Amino acid sequence: MIYKVSYVVVGEQHPGEIVNQDLPPEVGDPVTLGGEEFEIVEIIDLAPPRGDFAYLHATCKPV
Amino acid sequence: MRIGQKEAGMSMSVTDLLRRSELFYALTPEQIEQIIDLGQEKVYNARDIIIEEGDPSDEIYIVCQGMVEVEVSQGVVPDVPGRLQVNPIVRLGRGQVFGEMGLIDRGARSATVRCAEDGTTLFVVPRQALVGLCEGNHDIGYIVMRNIAADLSFKLRHRNLQMGLAGEEV
Repeated sequence: MIYKVSYVVVGEQHPGEIVNQDLPPEVGDPVTLGGEEFEIVEIIDLAPPRGDFAYLHATCKPV
Repeated sequence: MRIGQKEAGMSMSVTDLLRRSELFYALTPEQIEQIIDLGQEKVYNARDIIIEEGDPSDEIYIVCQGMVEVEVSQGVVPDVPGRLQVNPIVRLGRGQVFGEMGLIDRGARSATVRCAEDGTTLFVVPRQALVGLCEGNHDIGYIVMRNIAADLSFKLRHRNLQMGLAGEEV
């Protein structure tokens, strides 16, 4: 499965990121976006899967 | 983006990486090779400008590895006549496509895209060559256009969530 993930930061004007990754993100995971550290606080399905692609949204907060 | 131990290894070839881009979803290996034959790899360093807002749209780009940042201008910088204030709107990593709007509407670049990491590798396909392939082979053309539409939809959903969450309290 290829996980296409939209990372968005809550409470900031951070642009967020869109990346393909091999493993799904999980709530509580640490992530580095643009050199800054964040923690994932929510994961939702952004759209139904198509073939090998899953479409996820991860909401992040600063740590 | 780094996600600790979940980051994948980078031992794949560019061809393998491109096959894992949504742009190529549902194409046969032979059809993917036809597109790969049209383009070439280019490597950029941090701060390099890849495309500039307002320029003609001649190419479509796929991020094989590394990261780029998309920014749009928002008026002029106060007290600095003529200098545009830029606003980063998203960063795009492995597997992502940019420059696709110009493929569809032939309009000028809607944003500036700047390399965000040294050694970022992009696969670059000339617009006219890809359009020619899609028009000459409607099976490929339909799939590529559907994949581009799905990608644009994903980016819109990302942008909507970003704008909605930016003002929320943590």
